Amino acid sequence: MRLPVPRVVRDSHGLQRFMLVLGLVIVAAFVLVAIFAPWIAPYDFNADRDAGGVFGTQQAPSAAHWFGTNVGGTDVFSRVVYGARTAVEVIVVAVILSSLIGVPLGLVSGYLGGPLDRALLLVMDALYAFPSLLLAIVVSIVVSGGSSGALGGILAAAISITVVFVPQYYRVIRNATVAVKVEPYVDAARVTGVRTPRILSRHVLANVAQTLPVIATLNASEAILTLAGLGFLGFGIEPSSAAEWGYDLNKALSDASNGIWWTGLFPGLAIVLVVLGVTLVGESLNDVMNPLLRTRGGEASDTAVEPELAQAVEPTATTADTERRVAALSLSGLSVSFRTDGAPVRAVDRVSYEVAPGEVLAVVGESGSGKSVSSRAVMGLLPATATAEGSAVLTRDGEQTELIGLSDSALRPIRGDQVSMVFQEPSTALDPVHTVGAQLVEGIRAHRDVSQKEARARAVELLEMVGLPDPARRVDYYPHQLSGGQKQRVVIAMAIACDPDVIIADEPTTALDVTVQAAILELLLSLRDRLGTAIVLITHNMGVVADVADRVVVMYRGQVVEQAPVHELFAAPQHPYTRRLLDAVPHLGAEDGPGEVDASADVVLEVENLVVEFPGRLGEPAFRAVDDVSLTIRRGEVLALVGESGSGKSTVGRTTVGLQQPTSGLVRVSGTTVSGLSDRQLRPMRERFGFVFQDPAASLNPRLSIGQTLAEPLHVHRDLPAAEVQQRVRTLLEDVELPAAFAARYPHELSGGQRQRVSLARAIALDPDLLIADEPTSALDVSVQARVLELFVELQQRRGFACLFITHDLAVVDRLANRVAVMQQGRLVEVGPRAQVLGAPAEDYTRRLVAAVPVPDPVEQQRRRAENAALLVEEA
Amino acid sequence: MTTEVLAPSDPPAAPSSRRGGLPPLARYLLVRLALIIPMLWVLVTTVFVLMRVIGDPVTAANAGRLNAEQIAERKAAAGLDRPLLQQYWEYLSGLLHGDFGTTLTDNREISEILVKNGAATLELSIYALIVAFAVAIPLGRLAARKRDQLPDVVLRLLAILFYAAPVFFVGLLLKLAVSPFGWPTSGRASITTELALQDVKPKTNILLVDAILWGDPAYVWDVLQHAVLPAVALGLLTGGVFLRLIRVNLIQTLRADYVTAARARGVKERRVVNKHAFRNALVPVVTVMGLQIAMLLGGAVLTETTFEWDGLGLQLADYLVRRDFLAVQGIVTLIALIVCVFSFLIDVVVALVDPRVRF
Repeated sequence: MRLPVPRVVRDSHGLQRFMLVLGLVIVAAFVLVAIFAPWIAPYDFNADRDAGGVFGTQQAPSAAHWFGTNVGGTDVFSRVVYGARTAVEVIVVAVILSSLIGVPLGLVSGYLGGPLDRALLLVMDALYAFPSLLLAIVVSIVVSGGSSGALGGILAAAISITVVFVPQYYRVIRNATVAVKVEPYVDAARVTGVRTPRILSRHVLANVAQTLPVIATLNASEAILTLAGLGFLGFGIEPSSAAEWGYDLNKALSDASNGIWWTGLFPGLAIVLVVLGVTLVGESLNDVMNPLLRTRGGEASDTAVEPELAQAVEPTATTADTERRVAALSLSGLSVSFRTDGAPVRAVDRVSYEVAPGEVLAVVGESGSGKSVSSRAVMGLLPATATAEGSAVLTRDGEQTELIGLSDSALRPIRGDQVSMVFQEPSTALDPVHTVGAQLVEGIRAHRDVSQKEARARAVELLEMVGLPDPARRVDYYPHQLSGGQKQRVVIAMAIACDPDVIIADEPTTALDVTVQAAILELLLSLRDRLGTAIVLITHNMGVVADVADRVVVMYRGQVVEQAPVHELFAAPQHPYTRRLLDAVPHLGAEDGPGEVDASADVVLEVENLVVEFPGRLGEPAFRAVDDVSLTIRRGEVLALVGESGSGKSTVGRTTVGLQQPTSGLVRVSGTTVSGLSDRQLRPMRERFGFVFQDPAASLNPRLSIGQTLAEPLHVHRDLPAAEVQQRVRTLLEDVELPAAFAARYPHELSGGQRQRVSLARAIALDPDLLIADEPTSALDVSVQARVLELFVELQQRRGFACLFITHDLAVVDRLANRVAVMQQGRLVEVGPRAQVLGAPAEDYTRRLVAAVPVPDPVEQQRRRAENAALLVEEA
Repeated sequence: MTTEVLAPSDPPAAPSSRRGGLPPLARYLLVRLALIIPMLWVLVTTVFVLMRVIGDPVTAANAGRLNAEQIAERKAAAGLDRPLLQQYWEYLSGLLHGDFGTTLTDNREISEILVKNGAATLELSIYALIVAFAVAIPLGRLAARKRDQLPDVVLRLLAILFYAAPVFFVGLLLKLAVSPFGWPTSGRASITTELALQDVKPKTNILLVDAILWGDPAYVWDVLQHAVLPAVALGLLTGGVFLRLIRVNLIQTLRADYVTAARARGVKERRVVNKHAFRNALVPVVTVMGLQIAMLLGGAVLTETTFEWDGLGLQLADYLVRRDFLAVQGIVTLIALIVCVFSFLIDVVVALVDPRVRF
């Protein structure tokens, strides 16, 4: 017979599984002992005599009394066995009671927020901060009042413990709720008009509840200790009504000094074992379920291999080079694979490329193509689960060093000195607790034998070189005191600190706004010119490639599919994947997006003098996110709302659908004023608008199937028989070109593009007048983005809804918008027809924004770069 | 505690420093200080209400020993016959003036208990913290760096064992182990030492300091001997928790981008771990340690009872047994105050460790 193995055990592995199973076995053993206590124990827990007479006090272990007898003359073994029963009863009651009280309180408090939340949080925090044992003692005195029977005693003890643990459940559930309620899928449910109780149960609780087993087990072990502590101090269960280990330990305390070991040892060991077992289960559950603690695997691709491309992977189409300088870094046959729970994943497969001094080599590819992994392998910065083979040779002054296979200590002098790295996200690549100067100095002194003072002077010099204003002062700033662009300048300063031969820049501008991106790229180029460094630029942005690269390596699924000088690659791509990639990239200025809609069309959305403020923290003024914005969108029209991060564009979108209340101003949808309405008043109007969120992974509830997600708006607004709902779901899936069988799948079984199609289907389920799309394609790879945009345009034209399309990507705007509105720092800078705003902008800011976008065509981009140089002076 | 500020979808891009009038550090500390007041109020009120739910203290303490008339007389004397709200108000205003009340059974000032027995608890807590850090920091770092390897598994089991063993059980085992060798197993010092140190001036009530001030190495040795067992028992319990905390946080910071970035700069591994990973791991560790002070105090009650260490916890247990609820109310309030003061001090430490709070 095969025992059913719980899923958590199957999900665990190695030592983790050992700990989990050990814990489960211990807990199971104690539960069995508790259940069968009367059959296992030879005597009653309070019996001090049997037919053979009195046991005698403090008798050493013998055949009649395995664990001896205690000071009261009772059998220690029997008391330990019955103690298990008491412990299990109290824990079960306490865990059930405290979750019954703590969970609903946490849910409601976290979801509703406001004064109720603050008051509850204060009380719970106060209780939590207080020594739990003291609280339990005080409560146990209050609860027990007089003494009572066995059940009463156990209930009283459980209640005292419950009071201690309610705050813990409350805190965990509340914090999880606060985190979950801002998830886009909860917003999506609100936009659909789902009622609060349903949101709480279907969307919040379902996703919060997975932490419950962990807290419950960890609290259970604390509950045992608290119970024992109460018993030890004499405030536990009435000794005559149940056996309790803590009480026995107290009685045994004076024995210890007299060498009588058996009275205390056994009850003590029982406590240790139970707590150990329960804690092992809780900790292992936490480990298995907490993604943060999971061993990280490689970048896995979620798209299926497309046969045409997989077959077409042909020998590298390198163009013959006439004159080549000696490569600074050359990779040949480099492969990287990751150990996973299943078969090893090969993330990089026999990759070869080289980069010469003074050259910018762009490595492009979509997510999961292995472009980052290959460069990290060169630096020896892969996680321990990865193995690299092949070769990466560094050449300096004619001397060659093989990097693959070098030990960490042999690589260390090379890192930062000969090869250095620029990271994607400057805010995480800088250590928040040290000044930028200290981090620069540290890098310099790792390689150069200079004094602290000299290194610091060099740090200031470097900061000046990368164009950080006022470097002598900012050298002492902490990273959080700098803006994103400034931080990236610091990261670059670190990379050039020791005049490296090669800089590997891994998506160095992806996290930055487009105007900042232009300045950072400019900086990288000027450094290359001045220092003659070889630069490996890893990016997914073809515009950036066209802007700065000399040569390009295209990667697809771990392999290099094409390698060519930049002009050749863009003019005559050889490989089908490259061709498709280039076709998919939207090209600002070369798209033929739609013209203006007829002025007689009905106005669907009217926004008048909208102001949204967020209250500042104590002592700070309110933050004005949206400042006097007015817009209109007509039926069948797409208005693109563009701006950089923090411009307030998303807030405008959220306010139009009631996810955010305006401070002042009016929002009208199809003639009805929706601003200022309560959730309840707004609910019937919800069917008139749909919302598509940026991150497709976050905007679908992971616990609902696709079919359930799509059916939700129908359930809320239409009273349809189940069969018809199913029919509608199938039609919707068809509309977004997904197979009907997807209704039964869950979001994690879909790829990013497929999820965004589902999002789109949900938004149009009720045939809305207005669709708000908030950066719907920015989380997608470019080829996926192209297909989703195509689908979007087709649906929009077929159904004729009005659309507010919020994005930072001007090239996408050029493809689909009728009109464009530009926002900067909460204000509307410019509104007009697409061709006019993008082609001949009236405002300086718009001009700068348009100029900063690199277009995916090296010839055109070179011209633009020369023309726009003056415009692109970044403000500090 | 921190309250989460809900992030608006478009957060301000620029760091929000220097917008208000106060420098951020001052504002941070003021907010923390201001938060203590309602917290303390909640605790004090809870204690007051709970202690009155049981019934009036005089009856509780003297039930069966006095007749109804005598009880009524004593209640009147203690002011317990007046309306509850008035008693509550007087209790609060007494607290504001530093008056925690007096015990019912032996008429001691609660504030005197603080001075004498509080010092003992403080002394024990410091010893325990020293043991805890000495255990937790090196072992926690080892476990994190050898993650999922043998040392990690052994240390994790050990940490769970430290946590799973109740302090009074560990105390009992320690007593069993050392009593054959004549090592002292209870009290803060031998009677002779205690008597001798009665007259030391200035008297700190922290026996080690008093013994050093007195200047007799024999006394210092005696005091230290007595401290070993309780310090180890309470220290291991706390150390087990700290060890797990340090391990988990260090594992997370060891995979942070800035750690990779430091490695990519060619910084030595030792320095990467010390300066970057460990330093950053300290921020959450210190915060959570603040919450563990409550645990330390709760543990102190048990430790003090186990080793007859005459601190606040032992006094509390004593008065609880005697059903002197005025004393219990006073001591519990005192402990609440200590918890609040220490959690504020921890906030200050957090500010020292984390520059994002300071600037």
